[in-house]
Amino acid sequence: MLYSVHMLKENQAIVVENLSKVYPKNVRAVSDVSFSVKEGEFFGFLGPNGAGKTTTMRMLSTLLKPSSGKVSINGYEIGKQDDWIRCSIGFAMQGVTLDLTASGWENMMLIGTLYELSKKEIEENGKKLLKLLDLEKVASVWVKNYSGGMKKKMDLVIALLHSPKILFLDEPTEGLDPVSRRRVWDYLKELNKKGTTIFLTTHYMQEADYLCDRVAIIDRGQIVKMGDPQELKKEINGSLDDVFIKYTGHSIGEENINKNAPDPYINI
Amino acid sequence: MKAELAKFLILFNRGFKQAIRPYMAVVPEFLIPIFYFVVNSAAFQKVASLPGFDQASYLQFYAPVALLVSIFMSSGSTGLETVTDISTGFMDRMFLAPVNRWYIVLSKLLAVGVKSVISLLIMTIFLFLFGTSFHGGIVGFILVLFLALIFAMGWAGIGLSLAFITKNPRILQSSYVFFFPFSFITTSQLPLNLLSGWYKTAVQLNPVTYILEAIRSVLIRGETGYTVALGFLVAILFATATLSLSLWSFKRSVLK
Repeated sequence: MLYSVHMLKENQAIVVENLSKVYPKNVRAVSDVSFSVKEGEFFGFLGPNGAGKTTTMRMLSTLLKPSSGKVSINGYEIGKQDDWIRCSIGFAMQGVTLDLTASGWENMMLIGTLYELSKKEIEENGKKLLKLLDLEKVASVWVKNYSGGMKKKMDLVIALLHSPKILFLDEPTEGLDPVSRRRVWDYLKELNKKGTTIFLTTHYMQEADYLCDRVAIIDRGQIVKMGDPQELKKEINGSLDDVFIKYTGHSIGEENINKNAPDPYINI
Repeated sequence: MKAELAKFLILFNRGFKQAIRPYMAVVPEFLIPIFYFVVNSAAFQKVASLPGFDQASYLQFYAPVALLVSIFMSSGSTGLETVTDISTGFMDRMFLAPVNRWYIVLSKLLAVGVKSVISLLIMTIFLFLFGTSFHGGIVGFILVLFLALIFAMGWAGIGLSLAFITKNPRILQSSYVFFFPFSFITTSQLPLNLLSGWYKTAVQLNPVTYILEAIRSVLIRGETGYTVALGFLVAILFATATLSLSLWSFKRSVLK
């Protein structure tokens, strides 16, 4: 059953109506997707590799132009008020999106200035985030010398620097050790409690189960199930893994391979 | 307005830092023109006695070539740096920010132009230490710096266009081959009056010839007339063409 949502626009941080992305050669990466995320909600977007999660997220964050459909982020319409949307969101992408031949501080100064933060604001917010993610000691070192986990955490610092209302997280804890992962989870929980809306994609069902108020499962570009993780589990009397397998027909590690689909990350 | 200027300046600053980091990678940008200068000025010194050769020494004749090569070298890695930004996702990071996207390209081009001007200044000191005597005075030298700025941005425009069109680091690395015809099929080895046949025609068709001759005219002969004006005109046309291509390819990529 495909999901369709009647959208209430009040108190909605994200409203997506019939969103589609068709790449050349008629490859449909996302097909008629509709959903909404409430302000302050922790929303999980789950699906196998190649299901359309990253493409959807890139469209919601203004990085990719939708083929059709309507999206409203914090009340601003995509395609018409993109700069307002950019000011109000943060995005920690799947890969590391830092200037590797610059220090953590230089990265923060650059991105903070682009968000029109003052030097003082960048320093204050930066110090707080660096302390929280245990990166204070390496902040003056070139990012290319960081470990994979450090880069990932620095990416999160950059995404949070301007205190966004909505935070998009694409596999934020991939490659982190269990301690760092737990620390990131706790921080995200706390951030969410303070009112930040979080839109998360993850491969870790445990992560989605622990963090999310609601999850949507996407497969082959379409939402196949959506709901509260506890209720979804109750429905089938199993784990979130079981829910995932039931609605996608395969496990989380499997991929939907479409040879013609471009990598959404090599598509500026 | 102040915020916009701050955004442009920090992008310029970042573009400049990216172009000189890691610092060791900048060393070959000086070693290569010095190598050409030392080897060629020694190997071809008897050429200066050929009838029709208008310089007292081949070293004087070849010095502007070393300056030109330094411009090529200092601006030649722009495409590769941009592809790195694309493939690492850093370009996306900049696109996510509320910044005019043209600033990203224009600040980078300006940063590369400034880097080339600094390289040219350093190379001039080297050449002076190697015995080159310069003419044309302060005004002439400033003219050459402007010419270097325009040509460096134009040359960087080729790399940028390739970066946006292909997004492929290997192709960008291979594009280094463009340097050879553009720099060698010029009056770098001999003056135009000593060239003949198809080679002379090719040299005359190469825009870089006019830029080289303009540098030579100012710094070696101390003349700032027609040759310099022609050099500026060709540099502006060349830069306009390559920058238009790079901005077009950027727009095409961004609006996908």
